Amino acid sequence: MNSLVLWALVVGVLPLFTFFILFLGGKKLPRRGDWLAITFTGISFLISLFLFLHIWQKEVVHVRFPWFELGGAGNQLVAFTSGIYLDNLSVLMLVIVTFISLLVQVFSVIYMHGDWRYHHYFAYLGLFTFSMLGIVLSDNLLLLFIFWELVGFSSYLLIGFWLEKDSATNASKKAFLFNRVGDIGFLFGIFVLYTFFGTFDLQILKDLVSGAIAQNNGFIFPNADGQTLSYTLLTLAGLGIFCGCVGKSAQFPLQVWLPDAMEGPTPVSSLIHAATMVAAGVYLLSRCFPFFTEDALLVIAIIGAVTALLGAIAACGQNDIKKILAFSTISQLGYMVMGMGVGAHDASLLHLVTHAFFKASLFLNAGIVIHAVHHAVAHYEADEFVDAQDIRNMGGLRKVLPLTFYAYIPATAALIGLPLFSGFLSKDAILSGAWAWAGYKSMGGNSLYYLIPVGGFSAVLLTAYYMARHCFYIFFGKNRLEIKPADYRHTPTKEASWLLLVPVLLLALFSIAFFFSPNPFDAGSSWFFQGLSLKQLLGSTTGLTGNMVNHITEYLHASSFIHVLTGIISVGLALVGIFIAWRNYQKASLKTNEELFAGQTGVLKVAHQHFYLNNFFENIFIRPFLSFSQEVAIFDKDIIDRSVNAFGKMMVILAKVIGWIDRKLVDGLVNFIAWLAGLIGKSGRLMQNGKIQSYYIFSLFGLILLILYILAF
Amino acid sequence: MDYILSSLIFIPLLTVLLILLLPKQMEGAIKSVSLVATILQMVLSCWLFFNFNPTASATTDQGYQFVEKLNWISLNLQSLGHLQIQYFLGVDGISLSMVLLTGLMGVIGVVSSWTIKKNVKAYFALYLLLVASVMGCFLALDLFLFYLFFEFMLLPMYFLIGIWGGPRREYAAIKFFIYTLIGSLLILIVMIGLYTSVIDPAATAVNAGLATNASGATPAIVNQVQSALVSGTLASDKLVHTFSIPDMYQAKNFIPGSILHAFSNIQLWGYPVRLLAFLLLFIGFAIKLPVVPVHTWLPDAHVEAPTPISVLLASLLLKVGGYGLFRIVFPVFPEGAAYYAHLIGGIGVLSIIYGAMCALAMSDLKKLIAYSSVSHMGFVLIGLASLTVEGANGSMYQMFSHGLISGMLFIITGVIYDRSGSRMIQHFRGLAFTMPAFTVLVVIAFFASLGLPGFSGFIAELLVLLGTFASATVSGMLPRWMAIVATSGLLLGAAYYLWALQRMFFGKIWVHPEVQETPNMPDLTRREYLMLVPLAVLTLVFGLFPSLLLDKISPAINQLVQFILVAGK
Repeated sequence: MNSLVLWALVVGVLPLFTFFILFLGGKKLPRRGDWLAITFTGISFLISLFLFLHIWQKEVVHVRFPWFELGGAGNQLVAFTSGIYLDNLSVLMLVIVTFISLLVQVFSVIYMHGDWRYHHYFAYLGLFTFSMLGIVLSDNLLLLFIFWELVGFSSYLLIGFWLEKDSATNASKKAFLFNRVGDIGFLFGIFVLYTFFGTFDLQILKDLVSGAIAQNNGFIFPNADGQTLSYTLLTLAGLGIFCGCVGKSAQFPLQVWLPDAMEGPTPVSSLIHAATMVAAGVYLLSRCFPFFTEDALLVIAIIGAVTALLGAIAACGQNDIKKILAFSTISQLGYMVMGMGVGAHDASLLHLVTHAFFKASLFLNAGIVIHAVHHAVAHYEADEFVDAQDIRNMGGLRKVLPLTFYAYIPATAALIGLPLFSGFLSKDAILSGAWAWAGYKSMGGNSLYYLIPVGGFSAVLLTAYYMARHCFYIFFGKNRLEIKPADYRHTPTKEASWLLLVPVLLLALFSIAFFFSPNPFDAGSSWFFQGLSLKQLLGSTTGLTGNMVNHITEYLHASSFIHVLTGIISVGLALVGIFIAWRNYQKASLKTNEELFAGQTGVLKVAHQHFYLNNFFENIFIRPFLSFSQEVAIFDKDIIDRSVNAFGKMMVILAKVIGWIDRKLVDGLVNFIAWLAGLIGKSGRLMQNGKIQSYYIFSLFGLILLILYILAF
Repeated sequence: MDYILSSLIFIPLLTVLLILLLPKQMEGAIKSVSLVATILQMVLSCWLFFNFNPTASATTDQGYQFVEKLNWISLNLQSLGHLQIQYFLGVDGISLSMVLLTGLMGVIGVVSSWTIKKNVKAYFALYLLLVASVMGCFLALDLFLFYLFFEFMLLPMYFLIGIWGGPRREYAAIKFFIYTLIGSLLILIVMIGLYTSVIDPAATAVNAGLATNASGATPAIVNQVQSALVSGTLASDKLVHTFSIPDMYQAKNFIPGSILHAFSNIQLWGYPVRLLAFLLLFIGFAIKLPVVPVHTWLPDAHVEAPTPISVLLASLLLKVGGYGLFRIVFPVFPEGAAYYAHLIGGIGVLSIIYGAMCALAMSDLKKLIAYSSVSHMGFVLIGLASLTVEGANGSMYQMFSHGLISGMLFIITGVIYDRSGSRMIQHFRGLAFTMPAFTVLVVIAFFASLGLPGFSGFIAELLVLLGTFASATVSGMLPRWMAIVATSGLLLGAAYYLWALQRMFFGKIWVHPEVQETPNMPDLTRREYLMLVPLAVLTLVFGLFPSLLLDKISPAINQLVQFILVAGK
């Protein structure tokens, strides 16, 4: 076996060891074993780097192991394999996942210090890292689905980590269930592919799908018994797989779980609900890209654009430091999905990578801020509860937390998409891809397709607005609680422990465009693009939409005009957004606290309520379904069970009737006969009374009868 | 090891005698003896499992292993032919996993019964009788013998629920009894029909003078007998009527003109009589499984039964129903399987959704789990009805896996009930804080049951759903929408488990003051660990390494599926 595969296995398994060791024995270890978790993840990271250097642009390693078989004599063997697939994308993901996981764990040492389930926390992070690495390494859809669910499970454990908090356990349940809704679609997609191709293996599937022979309104696949797979079913299969992404990557309409998931510890939000897990959906789309028909991609693009826009709008209406970031994550994931939908496969993956860094950084930043404000609020004597996560309670923190602020700025700039920062590269690439796609699609005369890039551009403006607002409220102006700066600090000299600051600063560093592309204005020259293009990942076969993708890529290559134009437009929009945010902030800073905390109105209220999507699900699906279930249970008890009992009762009544018949009629007849016999006997006995006179009368009577008889005949 | 199958049945049976001889006061001895007997049974069933050779076939006589065949009742009925009832035991891939499951759960049940106080002697005697008859059911290859064991399960079960049960135990016990009895009556009717229609070709050969003894009947001679049967040249007094199940699989063994012959034109109420026979048998076993709408005995029986009996009921007795479908209903009447595929699949889907919805509405944890059993047994039904390799294997896997998981789940309710005397979900909050280790095992059991990958339930349900979906293309049995609707059962399963978990185990610690004055409850005892941990490990092992089981059972199941597909068309 290729030794690289062994190393890859080690990368994946080390975090699993962390889980088992810490979960079962972490309490007894010194420092509850946090060092062990960090060391293991660190080793995983180093090995990932090693793998990256060996695989990236050099080779593709694919190893399959038999897992189980439904075999038998005389039958075709149904074999289920498991395997490891190492290519550019998977090693890149390995590095990112282990790196961010490592940093988040280091950060958590301080952040989670003193929690009574501290060791469980690190154990769960280990389980999460293991499952996430599993998704990345899997070579087939079934295995991917397994890790996919396990990721959901570890996310469930971590969102609901503070078991005593009802809001947290509600959120964890909600996250798991909303993910399951998506997973049912995912399973449907898997079923279709399995039914027609008999395999889950992505490489084999890719070849089979690419070898499809288009028929009237379907495909015939050479290796699959000549069965016809209709175009519609294939599109539906693609959309089914996409459903998995809709759940996990929080796309419209299932995105409602993600804001709630912020109830979990902030480092968890950073690792799972910003950088890695939620991006798994985009990773899935990338892996399944060859199976998507053009119609499926269209739906994907629309959903992505809608999500990007809705998330951005909702973010504008939030005041919770983490919720804003959560909605921003939804919006950015929408971008990635839209990118996939429009065939800007590489741009979308680039955005996944850049976003992972800057968003993880922003969340950890928020963690430090919350940590500090929480500390300060403890000194603050207020009559009422002060929410340490509400940005309206902050302000002027750049003086208190300077390093945090310096880390925050590049990450925010990257998120807004300002030039020289990483987000600019990837967002620009997605937007120009979307523009080119719209051009390609609307060649038929329907220019509605341009709505997709327009949606993307609108989200740029909104992103700039809400992030600038976020920034101004937290770091600028004066402190609205009027707390002494010293109160924000756990130690008087430092703003925060280095264990908190180093991860944030490192992640912020990677928000700079230079790390991703030598030319910070154009992603086309980026070393990422060389490695993540469809050609690199898929080889000669480009899947069902190869023509479209090729067309768009060539078009983009041919002229840099679109790139320049989208760059200029998006920067312009971003600046406008920042300006509006600044204007509004200026106004807001003049307001009294009461005015500031007054409820929002109009669009902002709708945005704040997330378009009432939660209420929609609650009132349209969940509650009616629960009460319907109650009805079913009542039906079960009152109708089915009662009819069974009634049947039983009827039997008893029937038995009673038969019993009565038996007693009265059958037995009665017998008794009657006996009574009759008795009667006869009794009357016979009367004659035998021993009186000579009566014997004489009887014989006389008999003699008369005899004489009469003789006379008569 | 020639008599290993008999030992599996007779070890507990003889232990019953031993227990009856022990004085009532020696409760410790009675428990230990029962434990030793079940452990012995478990060891033997494990030995059997590992020594089973999976390359045998399911539909021929030669496919059974460790066969024991003795003539039990043999009557010469002159012109009515010979009546032959055999003591015929054997295992194949269909029964192997069930035998293993019985061995395992028998021990778990004894450990779980350790706290029984009332009338210990009678309890363990009945318990072992129950285990023996369940084992007998899985091993018997003679329909008469099977039926005997099948009926015999009712008696100990009736008393175990009726004496050691909860407040409404009499009601539950009688309900269980009557329900199952009706099912077995339906089976009995078909059994008699089969008896009149099927001959044992080997024994007939001996009777007709073609062979000297049954083992001397070569395939050629058997063929000769079968063709003589078709041509009607065999005198009716030479025919040996049999209850042997393997003989019933062969259409050639049916007497021409007999009521259940494959080309029988006999119709009842406009239905071919064989299809009716299929339906009767199906209903008989479906009651046991159970499926909606004949499931209402299950929640009552579970709620009233003591914990160990609930464990056995869910993990073993329900499986007898599923096993009957695999062993008897589908292969004996393959055309029924094909004809009624939609109906059976539909009932399966209905059970999945309906059971899950009822579970969602339950406030008694034990009832919730009972309804979840109904839901999970629906998967058994659709998997088998799909008549695909994946579906049927998944169906069998589901039976095994559900045996382990439901055992865990009922032990869990027992743990809570033992401590507090309540099982109501709304009586508890935040149990995780007072029983952390228990909560871990509950999370494992709940997630295993809701089909989290890594646990055996996932493999089972995945295979079933794959098979059901592929069925439309591969075997043409079930439409695709059934797979899709059934898949949504996974969502509902997650919903009721997570909701129960959240309500009982998370949040601030609180126990309803009527239940207990202080909310503190002791964590698991060593005995409870002993039951829950092995089961958790097993579900994990069978979830990660399905080949452990599938390598042994899937050849037989595949063959069964092929056989039914060929014979049913």
